[in-house]
Amino acid sequence: MKVNRYEKAAAGAVALMLVAFAAIFVYAPTDWLQGPVQRIFYLHVSSAIAAYGCFTVVLLGGLVFLRNESYAADRWARAGALVGVIFTTVTLVMGSLWAKKVWGQFWVWDARLTSTLVLWIIYAGYLLVRRLAEPGRQAARTGALVGIFGFVDVPVVHFSVTWWVTQHPGPVIVNDALPPEMLATFLFTMFCTIVFAAVLVVIRYRIETLRDAKQVLVEPAKVVSARQPEPVP
Amino acid sequence: MSYLVIAYAFAVALLGGFLFWSLRTLRDLDRR
Repeated sequence: MKVNRYEKAAAGAVALMLVAFAAIFVYAPTDWLQGPVQRIFYLHVSSAIAAYGCFTVVLLGGLVFLRNESYAADRWARAGALVGVIFTTVTLVMGSLWAKKVWGQFWVWDARLTSTLVLWIIYAGYLLVRRLAEPGRQAARTGALVGIFGFVDVPVVHFSVTWWVTQHPGPVIVNDALPPEMLATFLFTMFCTIVFAAVLVVIRYRIETLRDAKQVLVEPAKVVSARQPEPVP
Repeated sequence: MSYLVIAYAFAVALLGGFLFWSLRTLRDLDRR
């Protein structure tokens, strides 16, 4: 069985994530206040940042599609949305488990958690629209508009902890709240997660390209069969 | 400790499963 370049890239991304996990569980010190559960932080925050990157791809893809009607841009947007929703799911679930341990409950309706849930719903909605709509120009235009306006929630999520009083903690990176070993582990995990997300987006883009190509091959046959006269009884 | 294990087990299952499913879909589409 021949290994293609996408599988090689995936293997590299998985290897990077394994090194990141080693850093999280072996190199990073245990937090004196929260204990081992604080290690959720590394992948929880990195996944959120990877999701921001994916939704930026959706935004740019939508803008380029509306400007140039580039279906390649639309395919990047579709790829980015699916991977972004996956990483937002990781962020929400890991965050909820962390919250249960340190706050005593899985969920609170504060600005950070609520706006992140809204972000997930927006892009899950985007994927639903793309799934249900007949493929073509109208679906791509609608998707582009949802992707562009949906991105408004990304800065809301990011700055929610500074704009409003939240139970979710504020930024720890910019406030120098992390010891050097924890900061190094976080930055390395973030890098590995972004590479992993980028590889996933590229693989999904290839899948969308092959599906679109298949669609083009199938469509003429559909058109021909639709134009055939109905058999006379 | 158990919340930490569940959190990472979930992340590995979701991200790993999604990667595996994507690679398998890609291989199927390439074969056709």
